[in-house]
Amino acid sequence: MKTGRAHPGEEIRLDEESAEQLADAMYALSTPSRVQILGCLLKGACSVGDLVRDLGMEQSAVSHQLRVLREHRLVKAEPVGRRRLYAIYDDHVTELLRAGLRHVEERKRPSANSSKRRLAARDHRS
Amino acid sequence: MRFAPSADRRSVLDRAHRGDVVGAAGRVLAVDTAPRPSRRRQVATLLAVMGPGVVVMVADNDAGGIATYAQVGQNDGLRLVWLLVVLAGILFVNQEMVARLGAVTGAGHARLISERFGRRWGAFALGDLIVVNLLVLITEFIGIAFGLGYFGVSRYVSVPLAALALITVSGTGSFRSWERAMYTLVAVSFVAVPLLVLAGHHNPAVAPIPAAPHGPVPGTVLLVVALIGTTVAPWQLFFQQSNVVDKRITARWLSYERVDTAVGTVLFTGGAVAILAACAFAFSGTPFHGAFVNAGTVASALRQRAGGWAGALFAVALVDGSILGASAVTLSTSYAIGDVRGTRHSLHRRWGDARTFHGSYAACVVASAAGVLIPGAPLGVVTIGVQVLAGVLLPSALIFLLLLCNDRTVLGPWVNPRWLNTVAGAVVAGLLALSALLTLTTLFPHVALGWATVLSAATSAAMLGAVVGRRIGQPDIVVSGQTPPDRQFWTMPAIETLPPPSRSRSRTVGLIVLRVYLMVAVTVLVARLAQLIAGS
Repeated sequence: MKTGRAHPGEEIRLDEESAEQLADAMYALSTPSRVQILGCLLKGACSVGDLVRDLGMEQSAVSHQLRVLREHRLVKAEPVGRRRLYAIYDDHVTELLRAGLRHVEERKRPSANSSKRRLAARDHRS
Repeated sequence: MRFAPSADRRSVLDRAHRGDVVGAAGRVLAVDTAPRPSRRRQVATLLAVMGPGVVVMVADNDAGGIATYAQVGQNDGLRLVWLLVVLAGILFVNQEMVARLGAVTGAGHARLISERFGRRWGAFALGDLIVVNLLVLITEFIGIAFGLGYFGVSRYVSVPLAALALITVSGTGSFRSWERAMYTLVAVSFVAVPLLVLAGHHNPAVAPIPAAPHGPVPGTVLLVVALIGTTVAPWQLFFQQSNVVDKRITARWLSYERVDTAVGTVLFTGGAVAILAACAFAFSGTPFHGAFVNAGTVASALRQRAGGWAGALFAVALVDGSILGASAVTLSTSYAIGDVRGTRHSLHRRWGDARTFHGSYAACVVASAAGVLIPGAPLGVVTIGVQVLAGVLLPSALIFLLLLCNDRTVLGPWVNPRWLNTVAGAVVAGLLALSALLTLTTLFPHVALGWATVLSAATSAAMLGAVVGRRIGQPDIVVSGQTPPDRQFWTMPAIETLPPPSRSRSRTVGLIVLRVYLMVAVTVLVARLAQLIAGS
């Protein structure tokens, strides 16, 4: 049993199984090409062909990564007519991606807020 | 505890392949890569890491193996026992290479073939593996049926029960429980020792019983190739590499994994020699000599020659080896499927958590069990024929192995040293020559091949292979900074990011020629097998 503290006063208890599942979901996000595919899907459902065109990856590679994403329930496949469209699994995944993107964008372009935080950290260390 | 900088850096294809080593007899934390200064720590680490090598080697004494050793012992006495010792050496060389590939790359053999030689070769290797494994699995169930049949258990009871047990053991979601179950089976396999003692002291007063009817007794050359086919099997390469990955053994623990493989090799040799010698002692100078039919008749013949205990011990060894072999063979299929498709494939995962992995495992087990239960199936012929088939398919897997072990992109500082290439080249070429001889004798059954021909062909091929192997390896590049601690933590970059391999024309042509040869060989074998079945 691991215990993590999200906000002061609010406690999230993560049992081993939930931790494993979360780690699995994060593993699926641990390859840049898969993240790129998810980024494309944020705009709306796509077919494999669309993804191949947008990302310039090989079709077999796209199919392979889609299979991994589907197994981790980050992406779902829907037959539309004769085509098969791939879409983000649900709102949680969208949220997760957006939050992750904000997390790295913030580091890339230090906003007033975060530089203030870094200064505070430096003060604290010295 | 020192926190190593790159303890967890190896790329994996399933998240469950990353983390602590949780073995049957111990645990090594993923962050604990500190040196082991004391003998006690070294032993504790070895106990935790030990497993894949012991399991793969002892599982080699499976239904097909035991039947072949018994056949060789019964028909030829102790004449071929030296071959087992040579084979043990060959096995160790091969298995050390796959264990190294697994620990350093974090990917299975099928996936590496598919990434480095193209999807088509990968699919071909995977297809080969699935077909051969299904046939081998049938032989394991035949072994179970024969073994438990000795105790009067109907095969309609024993085979479904064994299938259920196999599926249950791998579906617990705990690598440790699976490995403990395998260790239990390894422990039971030691019954071969008392069997040898009993057979050595058999009661000469027991009247010899008239010989059992002769089954199809293949010639000695066919028997030798069958012995090699059953001992050096393709599933072993795929199994140990994936099992090392699944056990989360990294390059840091490779020296321990080598010891594991060596211990396994010793156990394998002991078990195989004990069974061969037991049959040789019990049957020499009796009407049973030269009258091998199948493993079931060996058990009852042993009872007549050396008493009820000997027959029972042989039956137990047969059932035990068959279950151990069945688990490892089926897992090698499931690992390879998940590995190539990129879906979850780990014994750390429960049933619902890795559906393709456990589903394909269950499908293979159920299909082969059903195959055995079909009435009138010629079971004894299948046992030997399958091993011959595997012996023919093996060379391709070995050639891929040799090329992968010289691929600096894949293995970095862990590529084969030149002396090992020489040895491995000789091994591969020798096995290729034996396969060719087998095809020849099958095509032209009237050509009587003497021992001299076989030995000289295998030896000259091995020498040629050694010369070729010496040239395969690139000259050892001494990279500054490649000090031993760095080597311990060198891992292959993520498999998707590997640069394409440098394509040499000779390599591609060689591989095509090899495949065509293998296809022809397999076709001829199947035809010959069908002829045998129809004729008997």
